[in-house]
Amino acid sequence: MSDSGHNAAAHDIAASGHADHGHDDHGAGHHYTVTGVDNRKFAMWTLIGSECFLFGALIINYVINSGKGTDKLTPQNIYNIDLTTISTFILLMSSVAMVLALDACGKKELNKFRLWTFVVVLFGAMFLGCQVYEFQHFYHLGLGLSTNNFGSSFYLLTGCHGAHVAVGVMIMSSVLIRSFMNPKWFDSIVVEVTGLYWHFVDVIWIIIFTVVYLLVYVI
Amino acid sequence: MNAKLVKYLVGIVSVGLGALLSGCFDVVPMTTVHPVTQEGADIMTVYKITTWISVAIFFAVSIPICIALYRFREKPGDESIPEQVHGNAFLEFLWTVIPVVLLLIIAIPTWQVIFKQAKPFPEGQSLKVEVIGHQWWWEFRYPELGIVTANELHLPENTNITLDLTSADVIHSFWVPRFGGKVDTVPGHNNPMYWVTPTASDTPGGDYYQGQCVELCGLSHALMRFQAVIHKKDEFDRWAKTYNEPPKVVTSLEKKGDQIFHTICQACHAISGTASAQIPGPKIGPDLSNFGNRRTLGAGTLENNQENLFKWVKDSTSVKPGSLMGNLGLDDESVRAVNAYIRNSTVKVY
Amino acid sequence: MECGGFTFLEMMKPLAIVFVIAFGILAVCTRRDMWSWITTVDHKRVGILYGLSALLFMVIGGTEALLMRTQLLMPNNEFLSAKIYNGMVTMHGTTMIFLVIMPLSAAFFNYLTPLMIGARDVAFPRLNALSYWIFLFGGLLMHCSFIVNQIPNSGWFGYANLTSCQYTADASVDFWAMGLQVLGLASLIAAINFFVTILNMRAPGMTLLKMPIFIWTTLVTQVLLIFALPVITIALVMITFDRKFGTGFFNPGQGGDVLMWQHLFWVFGHPEVYILILPGMGIVSEILATFSKKPLFGYSVMVYSSCAIGFLGFAVWAHHMFTVGMGPWANAIFSAATMLIAVPTGVKIFNWIMTLWGGHIRFTTANLFAISFIAMFTMGGLSGIMHSSPPIDSQHQDSYFVVAHFHYVLYGGSIMALFGGIYYWFPKISGRYMNETLGKIQFWLYMIGFNLTFFPMHFLGVQGMPRRNFTYAADQGWNLWNLVCTMGAYMTAVGGIVFAVNVLYGLFRGKKAVGDDWNGRTLEWAISSPPPIYNFAVEPTVSHLDEWWHLKYDENGKRRPGVEIEAHVDPATIHLPGPSYFPILLAFGILLGAVGFFVTPGGLYVSLVGVVLMIGSSYGWAFEKT
Repeated sequence: MSDSGHNAAAHDIAASGHADHGHDDHGAGHHYTVTGVDNRKFAMWTLIGSECFLFGALIINYVINSGKGTDKLTPQNIYNIDLTTISTFILLMSSVAMVLALDACGKKELNKFRLWTFVVVLFGAMFLGCQVYEFQHFYHLGLGLSTNNFGSSFYLLTGCHGAHVAVGVMIMSSVLIRSFMNPKWFDSIVVEVTGLYWHFVDVIWIIIFTVVYLLVYVI
Repeated sequence: MNAKLVKYLVGIVSVGLGALLSGCFDVVPMTTVHPVTQEGADIMTVYKITTWISVAIFFAVSIPICIALYRFREKPGDESIPEQVHGNAFLEFLWTVIPVVLLLIIAIPTWQVIFKQAKPFPEGQSLKVEVIGHQWWWEFRYPELGIVTANELHLPENTNITLDLTSADVIHSFWVPRFGGKVDTVPGHNNPMYWVTPTASDTPGGDYYQGQCVELCGLSHALMRFQAVIHKKDEFDRWAKTYNEPPKVVTSLEKKGDQIFHTICQACHAISGTASAQIPGPKIGPDLSNFGNRRTLGAGTLENNQENLFKWVKDSTSVKPGSLMGNLGLDDESVRAVNAYIRNSTVKVY
Repeated sequence: MECGGFTFLEMMKPLAIVFVIAFGILAVCTRRDMWSWITTVDHKRVGILYGLSALLFMVIGGTEALLMRTQLLMPNNEFLSAKIYNGMVTMHGTTMIFLVIMPLSAAFFNYLTPLMIGARDVAFPRLNALSYWIFLFGGLLMHCSFIVNQIPNSGWFGYANLTSCQYTADASVDFWAMGLQVLGLASLIAAINFFVTILNMRAPGMTLLKMPIFIWTTLVTQVLLIFALPVITIALVMITFDRKFGTGFFNPGQGGDVLMWQHLFWVFGHPEVYILILPGMGIVSEILATFSKKPLFGYSVMVYSSCAIGFLGFAVWAHHMFTVGMGPWANAIFSAATMLIAVPTGVKIFNWIMTLWGGHIRFTTANLFAISFIAMFTMGGLSGIMHSSPPIDSQHQDSYFVVAHFHYVLYGGSIMALFGGIYYWFPKISGRYMNETLGKIQFWLYMIGFNLTFFPMHFLGVQGMPRRNFTYAADQGWNLWNLVCTMGAYMTAVGGIVFAVNVLYGLFRGKKAVGDDWNGRTLEWAISSPPPIYNFAVEPTVSHLDEWWHLKYDENGKRRPGVEIEAHVDPATIHLPGPSYFPILLAFGILLGAVGFFVTPGGLYVSLVGVVLMIGSSYGWAFEKT
């Protein structure tokens, strides 16, 4: 429940950016905020602060439970570092595409904007595909959600991250659709706020990749 | 209004103090302020310091409030505006520093006691007892003496005791207030606790100290009581020696009870020196080897007498909600037989 | 192992009942205007909805307390069964914390934050409405448990592994966990909204250190919520996974650790305590200043101490766990951190006293509640210092001493402050004063009843009575004080009835309020009572702390001529966000998402319908013209 709940909140805040400006700016259409930061952007930063604690709790939970594998079902035995490295690379590249999309949005270059937004969506979807493949692979090896506490905490952590990516993909695809429905629509704040979220999800993945996959080799 | 407030505050303080002095210093079974062990006395030292500091702070706060409320009440018809004072750096500094000093006075003995109480006895110089919490009764095991008992923790006087606490199901908390603080029994964890038992009085059968589970552990959490019994050393030795003696089955009723016990009851209960104790694996019900000697039944729920035991064996959930034994469907005659067996035959003379 | 399931229809029945009750009450209260309240995005109306719901939940939580006290009236009483009693224990705590104090505080945040900072509304008005509806649905979901007679009964902190399928096979834990999950989401959204509102929407000139103190405590509260809620979210996800999908995070048999739950819960739970008390501190600071006709003494130190309390609040969670066997070092360190919190708290108490000192104190009902807050909160704080010492705590933990302690803090503290806030801002909200005589009767009934109930609990604690016991033996020496406690509780209940009468009296018969109803200091008193829908016709510019006071009085305390509350203008000239039904729709989607966890078979589909509703209404929301 909480996964979808949290993502709804994330989606919701990002989505509220789609609304016309008048909604969030009070008074006769002027743009004043005390900090000079748009409300939606500020809210996203706040949400990111909260999400840090969410993932913090999940990562700590994983670290505590990662040694509780049973039989052959331990981190050392089942991780496939090659696949994960590729999917990590894809997610990193999607962040680059996100930067380029925002840049195109700012410069009002419609086709470039559509292209890079599409790349973000595509790479996000590819990352999710890799994750689905990985989960399936582990499942076939015998590691179900409740097989052992290592598996449970692994699925909870990476699954929660995957759900965040999925929400990002959904928001970015609606941005893409919007750009076809209304070619004059260049709300760079919406793209920027979504971009913040996307980069955050990416950064969290780098931490997860390090803690979950890389540390196995170090220790 | 304000005069009333002052009167009220004075009233509650004096009534409160009066009650404090009379009511809560009585030696009730679970009192936390009449320790009988050194561990309890150490806690009491910190307790006293903290209490007096708290009382002092209470007056340091309430007296200025009362004065302010009286002196600075609005006079009727006075529409003037008082001086708009915004603060006073010196005063504010003062009441930042004073609490720090007071807290240090509490903190230092606190830390001393924490580390003192965590110090184990030297190897081989204490009696080991394993305490296992169950829903809703206590199991006590003496690995060195080969004794398993329940709900009455028998200990020799003036002896080092190392308790090893754990739980068979959910979290419970083990507490004999007059011996000192509580320690939780946590499934999957073993918590140590160290006692030096007090001197026993000359009462035959030992001194009884009340204890109870203090962590919500399900339906009958309130009925998970136990007794710590402190014996003279020789009396404890006799207790330990006779504990595992087989029951003395004399009357025909007891014989019938023996039979029923060893067909039905032994699935969950054991009595030393009988076949029920030979069945391997842990028992889910309390050990009943010296049940006849125990003062209470159902983990301190009721006094151990004929009438209560009948109610208990007939349907334990009528006395203790959620009790696993429940109604076994025994007819009255069988219940009486079982009772005769577990209540009369198991009496140990020591 | 999987447990606690209902068929779809079995689950719909209690839901339908609680919904009919809740919306029936709403219909009665709003009469023909119901739809406009359901679609409202006005922060003032959302605030009123929060307040009304919280007070109704308070009736439920209070009744639970009275039932418990009646059971404990005498030893071996058989008024309630063990199961019901444990249910009352759990739901009284859960209700009072999550469904009374938090939403009642939220009612004040909602109503007052924009007014005090000189804004037209909060940063995200529709998100604000969304928070309310999620909160309401979470509360309703939790109370479905009463209708199916599976009342949560493992305590308000639901210690694992009592909450596992093995030891609680019915759905009681699920109602509790899913209810809290939904409520947590509501609080998180609201917290982000208010955080942004306060930092971004202040009137020009209102720098951080010119914000009213209530706004400061609100801000710190939101920060605590933002960082504490995700942790309980994870803990609740884990318990739900344990119960529904067979994982073993808290099952020692599967390699899990029951203490993990306690750590996660209290990492949230201790900041939660400050989430409950900080708004009260802010309210009391405002009331004391107004009724002493003096500014708050040591304003900036009050601000810093609030921040310090908030910060330290994250470093002391394990003092709830001194007896679980963390070892001497952890106990020593956490006890030191806990003692530190006494310093900023003590500073606050003395600053409140100095706010009174030298003032012209008016003994209005609001001020009586505020003054009693100082005394009661001090008592709670002092017993708190006792518990900060692990050796003493090992004698107090889970005894009535602790019950006395946290009721002095949360009841004598938070609730008293919130009542003071209601009396103080009632004229602003309704345009009419509450009756002062009835108010004072209520105050004394509460004050005496409260102390009669909870002071003797200190004695019971000293005499070793454990908390959460549905019964006690007659020979323990606890009989007298339990009797006294119960009498006190009944007295408070009478006070509650007086309050209800007073609210009705105030609404229909009360003296008309104009605007600056108490000779106030902060901006909300600069506009009419009740405020116009747009709040401020002209955006105020702020140059002082206590701006409104400085507009009214010069440096020598002389009234400046010609300063009056703002006149109304035609609302049509001011752009305001329009009504929206997407918030309630989205909230309903979230509720369905949660309900899916109860339904078997086919729960997944119920949740999916909820998710589709969430996504659909998010899109509708995003493209809505406002």
